[in-house]
Amino acid sequence: MIDVLGLNKRYGDFTAVRELSFAVQPGEVLGLVGPNGAGKTTTLRCLAGIIPANGGTIRIGEAVLAQDPVAAKRQLAFFSDEPRLFDYLTVRQHLAFVARIYGVADHEALAGPLLEELEIADKADQLPGELSRGMKQKLAIACGLLHAPRVIFFDEPLTGLDPLGIRRMKDSIRKRASEGAAIVLSSHLLHLLEEVCSHVLILKKGEKIAHGTLADVSAQFANGETGVSLEEIFIRATGGTEG
Amino acid sequence: MLRALLYLRLTSARNWLIGRIRRLRQPKYLLGVMAGAAYFWFFFFRPMVYAQGGVRGLPGAMPPEVASLPLLFILVPLGLITLLRLITAWVAPAGKPGLPFTEAEVAFLFPAPVTRRMLVNYKLLSGQVTILFSALLFSLITNRGGALGGNLFTHAIGWWLILSTLSLHSTAAAFTVTRLIDGGVSKRQRQVVVTGVIVLFLTAVGYVLWRSAPPPTDAQAANPWTLLQYATGLTDHGLLFWAVLPFRIMVAPFLAPGWREFFSALWPALLLLAAHYVWVLRAETSFEEGSIAFAEKRAKMIAAIQAGNFRLGQGPVKARRGPFALAPGGVRPEIAFLWKNLLATSAFFRPRTFLVGATLVVMLTGWLRHGSEHQRLALDIAGDLALALAAYTLMLGPQFARQDLRSDLVNADLLKTYPLRGWQVVLGELLTPASILTALLWLFILTAALAAGTLPGRGDRLLTPELRGTVAVCLALVMPLVCALQLMIPNGATLLFPSWAQSTRTRDRGIDVMGQRLIFVAGQILVIVLALLPAAAAGVLLWFAAHWVLSASVSTAVATAGVLVVLGLELGLGLWWLGRRFEQFDLSIESVK
Repeated sequence: MIDVLGLNKRYGDFTAVRELSFAVQPGEVLGLVGPNGAGKTTTLRCLAGIIPANGGTIRIGEAVLAQDPVAAKRQLAFFSDEPRLFDYLTVRQHLAFVARIYGVADHEALAGPLLEELEIADKADQLPGELSRGMKQKLAIACGLLHAPRVIFFDEPLTGLDPLGIRRMKDSIRKRASEGAAIVLSSHLLHLLEEVCSHVLILKKGEKIAHGTLADVSAQFANGETGVSLEEIFIRATGGTEG
Repeated sequence: MLRALLYLRLTSARNWLIGRIRRLRQPKYLLGVMAGAAYFWFFFFRPMVYAQGGVRGLPGAMPPEVASLPLLFILVPLGLITLLRLITAWVAPAGKPGLPFTEAEVAFLFPAPVTRRMLVNYKLLSGQVTILFSALLFSLITNRGGALGGNLFTHAIGWWLILSTLSLHSTAAAFTVTRLIDGGVSKRQRQVVVTGVIVLFLTAVGYVLWRSAPPPTDAQAANPWTLLQYATGLTDHGLLFWAVLPFRIMVAPFLAPGWREFFSALWPALLLLAAHYVWVLRAETSFEEGSIAFAEKRAKMIAAIQAGNFRLGQGPVKARRGPFALAPGGVRPEIAFLWKNLLATSAFFRPRTFLVGATLVVMLTGWLRHGSEHQRLALDIAGDLALALAAYTLMLGPQFARQDLRSDLVNADLLKTYPLRGWQVVLGELLTPASILTALLWLFILTAALAAGTLPGRGDRLLTPELRGTVAVCLALVMPLVCALQLMIPNGATLLFPSWAQSTRTRDRGIDVMGQRLIFVAGQILVIVLALLPAAAAGVLLWFAAHWVLSASVSTAVATAGVLVVLGLELGLGLWWLGRRFEQFDLSIESVK
């Protein structure tokens, strides 16, 4: 579903992502981890078509992002750490706007259950300024899920959420994966990886350090020891320094 | 303690200055300084140099009384606005009184062992930086032309006295009003008393003028300056003299024609200033709460400016009904942007408003056209006014109608995840301001077309009713494309030079920022002229070619078709190019730059 081959991203002389390759199949949840400045957000922004890559190929479903960005973007949704919303549109109007952009003809039939599931149906006529941080996050998710994306990217999905919001977000990610979506998420929270992710990719200075299932990556850095925590694995993999 | 406060003030000022000098390494600020300096030289200092060389004003310049007429039209409204603000400070002060502390100052100074008097002195002293800069700028403007007499120095001191006294008066008024409220005087009681005093005063003044003031002679009514002199002469004696005495004392050094008059006017003005200072210091009112609220408001505004979504004079956002029904599965997704951005504008900008406006124009012009001679004259003037407003809208409209990429750039990341080509996003973003400006222009064109030919002998032979109608329709057809092209320039600038475009939107001050704005406006005018030239050339050529065989009306229609094709091509190319730029655009990088 997501195929990345030799992805490169440079900012002037600085290489943010170098020769990154991986694939995510339907139903898989890939956790993108790494120290600050490792290139996680840059990778996600490249995958979502927000910034152009300097090299490599990104394939979303059957569409190559660089060649047919419209077809690729029809299949994906991107959720940034800070929900991006329009100040002047109510919850309902956000969904109407997104429905027109994605050509979702029966959006009212879809929006109702979605708002119910995300527990913001009673806020339908409120503006973002009247919503809490968690509610804004839910609205952003409702907008992103309206067109039933097959590929979902989350950048730090738990930022600013309360314990209940965190649990709901984790449930929501698992539900989408069980429905067949390919999901990539970046996070500093290692317990999120343990609970939600089927695979993990560790980045450092824009390069892939490790990639595989959690068990594979743990085994790679456990050095034969048993009961090594994920935190210890992470520190060993990244050398305990910043990106 | 005062040393610590002074250290804070002076160190902040020094670091600010160093920061300003360092950023000159960036070409956009260096160019801005150069443009700003050139503006000051050519507009203010060069005329002064000429004047000192014995020639008042540039060679061939108009007489000072005439050259300074625009000054009069600035100073009189400025005076009225100041008067209104002073009245407002007493009748309806904005919230609790507060001195303009920053959030950092509130955090560090309010819990510190600093006396109230010291804090007030510190803040008043800090305010002097702005006042001194404003006084210098105002004196450069008012000294230009020499009609007011005096010189740069007397004007600068005069402005400093006026601005300092007004600033102290506003603070003192706010403190006094709060003290009254704290003392049990209700808001309504205060408003009734203050408004009553003002009404009583104005009634007394009106009565005195009606009973005793002589009407202006022909010489006094000769020009606005002599008329102003006549008006000020009325305040030389009686009730009016005492009523405006504080104002006269305050402005006397500024208006002094020479050094002798200046020095004799200086000490009463300084005394008035000192009285205000004592008033502020002795006002036993708590200002801390208001200052904290002010600091929070200011911090929010700065954050909004940095995020690129600050809007001047905008109240709280309210939920509204959509401007029209947005079909979810429509063919053109760009329409969604029109719908979204119309929601971000005033509820006034709706198709219904335009239809009501057009109906009113048709009814009113019809009524005036078939009325008396005075009504027809009024219609004729309305037609001219509509044309002037159309030109004004066309030139300045894109600066005010900003519900496009300029407002939405902060959401660029979100917009780029949509399954749309870059040109579609740019087109969608242009639709709202283009529609608003087009609707306004159509109303003006309609008014001008219906008003034309009202009075006999005004271009009847040149513009027959048929040709007038054709020209109006053709202009109406061209306007959407011209508006879109006009809007494409600031939107393009936002994408091509985001940090530059952003800096022209901030409330940052300084010669470099002023210079940047000048360059930006000049660039915009140049680009639109270059963009319109090919279309105009095509239109003229086609008109003359067609006019060999066709009537003027048909030739105009043919020329308009040519203009539309050229403008359409330019617009298409512009959209394609800006769309490509949008697809490559990375907001995070641009912000860092």
